[in-house]
Parts: sequence; structure tokens; C-alpha cells
Amino acid sequence: MAHNGEILVEVKDLCKNFGVTVALNQVSMVIRRGEVRGLIGENGSGKSTITSIIAGIQQATSGEMFYQGKAWKPQTSLAAVHAGIGIIVQEMGTIPSLTVAENIFLGDYDRFRVGPVINRRKMMAEARQALEDIGVNDIDPAAITGRYNMEQRKLIEIAKTMVNHPEIFVVDETTTALSEKGREILYRLMHKAAAENKAVVFISHDLDEIMKHSDTLTILRDGNIIDHMVKEDFEPGSIKQKMIGREITGQYYRDDMDGYDDEVLLRAEHITTMRELLCFDLELHKGEILGIGGLSECGMHAVGRALYGLEEVVSGQVVLTQKQVKITTPEVAFKYGMGYVSKNRDTESLELNASIGANISSTGYDKNRGLGIFISNRKERRYEQLQVDSLAIKCMNTFQPVRTLSGGNKQKVVFGKWLAADADILILDCPTRGVDIGVKAYMYQLIYEMKKQGKSIILISEELPELCGMSDRLLIMRNGKVTGEFMRTQGFSHNDLINYMIVGGENQ
Amino acid sequence: MIRIAKKEKQKTPSQLGIGDRIEIIKSKRGFSLIFPLSMLLLLVTLFVILTGGDFFTLNVIKGIFNQSLIVGTMATAVSFIYTTGNVDISVGNVMGLSAVFGALSYRATGSMVLVIIVTLLCGVLFMMCNCALGIVFHIKSAMVAIVAMSVYNAFTEVLVGPDPIQVDYRLCKQLEGNFRYIAFLLYFGTCLLLYHKTAIGRKLRFIGGNALCANQTGINSAKSKITAYLFAGIGVGLAGVLQLLRTGNVAQSVGTGMGVDVMLATVLGGMSIFGGAKSNVYAGFIGAVTVTTLNKGFLMVGVSSTLIQGVRAIIFLLLVFMNSERQATLPSRQQF
Repeated sequence: MAHNGEILVEVKDLCKNFGVTVALNQVSMVIRRGEVRGLIGENGSGKSTITSIIAGIQQATSGEMFYQGKAWKPQTSLAAVHAGIGIIVQEMGTIPSLTVAENIFLGDYDRFRVGPVINRRKMMAEARQALEDIGVNDIDPAAITGRYNMEQRKLIEIAKTMVNHPEIFVVDETTTALSEKGREILYRLMHKAAAENKAVVFISHDLDEIMKHSDTLTILRDGNIIDHMVKEDFEPGSIKQKMIGREITGQYYRDDMDGYDDEVLLRAEHITTMRELLCFDLELHKGEILGIGGLSECGMHAVGRALYGLEEVVSGQVVLTQKQVKITTPEVAFKYGMGYVSKNRDTESLELNASIGANISSTGYDKNRGLGIFISNRKERRYEQLQVDSLAIKCMNTFQPVRTLSGGNKQKVVFGKWLAADADILILDCPTRGVDIGVKAYMYQLIYEMKKQGKSIILISEELPELCGMSDRLLIMRNGKVTGEFMRTQGFSHNDLINYMIVGGENQ
Repeated sequence: MIRIAKKEKQKTPSQLGIGDRIEIIKSKRGFSLIFPLSMLLLLVTLFVILTGGDFFTLNVIKGIFNQSLIVGTMATAVSFIYTTGNVDISVGNVMGLSAVFGALSYRATGSMVLVIIVTLLCGVLFMMCNCALGIVFHIKSAMVAIVAMSVYNAFTEVLVGPDPIQVDYRLCKQLEGNFRYIAFLLYFGTCLLLYHKTAIGRKLRFIGGNALCANQTGINSAKSKITAYLFAGIGVGLAGVLQLLRTGNVAQSVGTGMGVDVMLATVLGGMSIFGGAKSNVYAGFIGAVTVTTLNKGFLMVGVSSTLIQGVRAIIFLLLVFMNSERQATLPSRQQF
């Protein structure tokens, strides 16, 4: 019989190198039964590296691991799953073309085998049960996974992990993909697992969330363990200081009331898209940070895509008022000084196998011309290096492939390419998603500096504090329409904003 | 507002292992050129030693270059397409059919100038047909190529008939002399410049690496693909001219199977058929020269042609393995 507090996993002097970069440096820690162990640290601090080594996704360079008292060195993630280690990763972990049931039992179809055929009826029934067990009733196990949205797919992934009743349950920065309802499901499962004498490892960048739901906390910085804390000692200031390595002074968000010009740069006139938007209007002024918020299905992401020409506008139009240009494609938008940062950084905003330099210079082919159509190598190098230096992107050189960077540094490359392009209008869709507190603060600083330079920014975000902290004007959306408009000068009330998000302000 | 920048945690040079050093070398920009060239140089050195110096004569080197010219031209041409992550194995048949039209125009007019113009135009036209099918109907280029191969092959067989179409052999040989070198160098040089020194190659690489990202960065994928097929068409047409000048006639089998040879040469030259960041325009020609060097070298050493096929296959696999990209970081999370 396993006892509460018994050591379930122990790692000793774990080291992991990626080429010349040290991801983990002699890390030692224990994970006990019955605890929710929080792991916190900046991007690239080694949190995911530890859990992915425990879960067999990759192997350590050196060091020892023990699981349930025995030496542990899984060669594959499947071996770890069979041994009772379940992990939910930050990005999508389901295959879109398979059915929900096939995803839930991926790699384990033999349990439904009757002779040479799979008993699909049984598989569907068990998949339905697995979903119900985690409190999800609105997903059809026979449906193709790709038809569900990001949050629902994440819930499918959670069901997939929980169906194996893991002894150790790793939640790796998963909550950023979930709405409040999805988060509640996950928190409940985490605490239930801990109550059942299993162990939970919880990785998150959200300090409030991790402090609330963890019993113990391990802080990492640059691949080293800085501290282990118990709940009684949790204190935000000290945790942040240990994460960053210095005390954070100054303000996280902007604190000015600078306002913006009256001049309208971009106007959406009654735009309707194929799915989410219906007769949507918007005006963006020079030097304005326009925040757009709402619940995950409110259509705010479609606004950003439609404004940049990525989503077909079936009626109405998006116009750059000064230049009298109608935005119909991203090519036109880019040509006339617009930029777009997608919320899907790795799949849409970066070419991961290309170098840092190639990604940054992708916005400067025209600017870096030397003689005629020929690109000047000197100009191009300078264009790239300027961004690497000013954004303090951690890399060996500009030739390093972007895929080898941490999440925060990848996002800096995305920002770098648009800063270098000197875009007049920048649409940022969840720009701080999955980046740590240090990079987040830096992003806010950049956004504010761009505003001061007269650039106009549309900030689409699922994080209310971010929207309130940075926006001059804030639009709240629900069902593809704006339900409320709020001004910084009048102050933002979180309660009002949430009310407009949920019921469209009807209770006002 | 706060500014937070951390110092990178990296090993000192003395801490670097052999694996780390290989990684650093592979990330260098010139690696994709230096590696296949070094391999070629190694092969030449090996054969020079094995043949007691006979391999390193002007005649042998000229022979290798001449034999590599047609496949090398086509491999240079398809580099533009491969860069975008598309594969077109119909280029052999396009080259063949273009040469057929060139020969037919000679039969009708007797003008060699017209032969060159018609062959080049046909190469461009047929490649643009492949491109249009892919872009307009959104059919995968590989599927288009498979269908196109059959169609072009059928046209070639019908137009040529049982006997080859003859072009004045003496005239061909006269033209073949310096014309082919000038034509090839002009084409290769133009491709090198446009691909590596203008936005054309950079855009194609970006599309091959991540089409969604390229689109969001204002790159028009359709326009870039049309450009890629245009340059490919010119190259394939030129290869048709070179083929015609070399043989002085076109038979039914002209160009058959050359699409695969071109693909092998491209891969052997160090280029990925998946396109993207590490693509280049010179890999195909280096690959074509490498294949010819292997064949010629082994023949001179006295290895039978049957055995050469086997040795070629092993070397091909070895080179592909050594030049393939292995993930040094976390595997893509989308896999799980």
C-alpha cells in the first residue's frame, strides 16, 4: 500500500545538454505521493526538460532517476505511459485526422482487438466513459478530432492521459490553452489524483495559479534548481526574484494616460466573415493600443485575421484610411505597413528550421536591397543583428536555427522581425502566450515603446490583466460582436468587463 | 517598465565535445556547399590515387563535365521547385517532349535557331502547365507530375513514331562545342545570382519551410511558385536543346527515367527534397558531377558496371544519412 509522502520519483544530478547549451545542470529533486508539485521558472529554465526526461520523451545526458524505488531510464514515452507516467504537453498532443476515440487509445488498440479486427463499438463506449470521467459530455468519441477547437482537443488529450490512471500526472503549461471551465476540470483532476495518493507535477507561468494549486514549489533558473518551497512559504515577490535572479522593480504594465491621436489609420466597415464575424466595425487610431478581449469563442481571433487579410471578408471591407487601400490579402497588408503576430507561434509565425537571421530578415527583402534587385549581405546582416542585440535574444549567432531556442526567445524573434519591418500597424494575437514573466515584461515595454513612436497596435488577448494594463481602449466581444467599449481614461473595472464577456452587459 | 536580459548559459570552448563541434559546423551557412564539394573532392582524390594519376587528365575531367551537363542543368532547374517542398519527376518527359518539338521545327524549317527557341519555349510551356494544374486545382505537384509523365510520354511516342527524328548531326556537333558551355554557364550563373542574391530564393525557401508563416509575412506563394516553375521550365528546355545537340536526333525513349536521375543527383548534392531553409540551387549540379565521377572512376579502376550500381546505392545512402538533419532538441510536441 502506497503511503502519502512516500517518494515516487527521485532524480539525482540530472544533466541535459542541447549542443552547446546546458538545459539542466546537476538537478536533484524528489516528487512524493499525495503532493501537487509546482515547477516554475523562466522560458528555457529547464522545467519541461526535467518532466520530458522523466516521461521518456528524451534522454538525460547524465544523472540518475528512480521511480517507485527502482532505477528508471525509459527509452520511449510509451514505456513511461505503461509504467504509469502521464504527461500533458503545452502544444497539441492529438492527431487531427483520427477520431476522438482513436486519439484517446492511441498505441493501445490491442485492448479492443477481437481476432484480427478492432471492436470499435467497445472502443467508442470506453472513450465516452473516459471523457465522462473527466467531466466532459459534449465531445463525440466517433467524431474526427480536427473538427474540435483547441480547448476541446486539449480536453481529449487530458482524457487520453487519465484513461491510463497514471501514478504521476504531469501538466506542462496546459492551462494557457484552456478557458475557465477547462481549467476547473484540470484543477479538479489534479487535486483528485493527489488525494488518491498519486503525484502531480504542475508547470505553469501563471504565478497566482501555481501558488493556489501547488502544495510544494520548485524554482528553476538556467537549468539549476534555485529553491524548493512549501505552501506556507509561498510569497509572490520572493518567487519572482528567485525566478529572475534579481528583484523586479518598476511596473509590469504601463501606468500612463497618454491617449492617442484622433487620426484613424485602419477601419473595418461592417465586415462579415464566413464563420465568426457579422457586420463588425472597428477603428484604429494613430498611436493607439486597442485591446480586444472576450471568452475564447467570441470571435476576437477572427478579427485579427480578417483585418490582416488572412480570413476572407464576404461583405464589408477593411481599409487603410490614409492610403485608401483595401486589405484583401496578407500580401497587401504587409506591403502597406501592417504586421501580424499569430497566437500559434511555432506553426504560423516562425520557420523553425530556418535560422534566427533568416526569420528576422524575411520582412526586409525590399529594405535590404543593394544594387537593383540584389540583396546586400551587409545590410541584411545588420538588419538581423540589430534585432538580436536590441532584444537580447539568447543565441550563439544569427545562423542558429530558431527551433533550438526557448519559447520566450522564439517570441522575441517574432517581435524582432516586425520591429525590423517598422510596421505602422501591428496586430498581436496573444503575444505573451506561453512566455515567462521576464519576457512578458519586456514585451509590454516594447509594445509601449512602439506606441510612443506613433505606431498603432491591436492587442488581442485572453488575459484580462494584460488588456487592462496595456490598452488605451478596450473592446469586449461576444458571439462575433462588440458588446462593450471601455476607455483607459475612465478606468477598467474587471467586474464590468467579465460581465460584458459573459452576458454582453445585459445586467448593467 | 523593467528590462530583463539574462546571460546565456553555454559551455566554454574547452567543454565542447565532438558532437557539439559537429553541430556548430553544421549550423554554418557554407556547410551545404562545402560538404558535398568535399565529398566530390574526396572521390576525385581517391580515383586519382587508384588510377595512378590517370583520372586527373583534361580529357577525363572534360568528359565528366560533358556527361553531367544535361542532368546537372535539369537538377539546377528543379532546385527551384524542390525548394518549395514540391517534387516534380516529370521533368525528364518534359525535356523529351520539348526536344521532340525542337526536332520537328527543324524538320519543318531547317533552322537551328528556331530549334533552340522552340525547345526552350516548350520547356517553359509544359512546366507552366504542371504549375497551373497545381495552383488552380490545388493538386499536389507530385500527383500532377505522375499524370504529366504519362501524358507527355504518350505525346512523345505518337509524335516521334518508330524511327527517331533526325536533326543535322554535323550542325549539331558544330554547335555543341562552345555553345553548350556558354548556355549552361549563363543559365547556372543567372540561377545562382537570382536564387542566392535576390528575394526569389529566400521567398521560395520560406514557402518550403513554412507556407503559413510565409503567407503571414506577405509572401505570395502562388506568384513565387510560378516563378519557380518558370526558371525550371527554362532549365528543362535548355536541357532539351543540349540533348538534341548531343545526339542529333530524338527517339521515343528520350528523357524517360531522367526525372528520377535528376532527383538522385539533387539529393546526392546535399539538398533535401522536402525543401526549406537549407535548400540551394547548386546542389543538383554538384550531385550530377558526383554521380558521373563515381561511374567514370569505377570504370577506370576496372569495377564492373553491375557492381557500380550497388556501390552507388551504398554511397548514396551513406551521403543522405550523413547529410540528413537529426533533431538535437526536443522532438516536436505535435508528435504526441
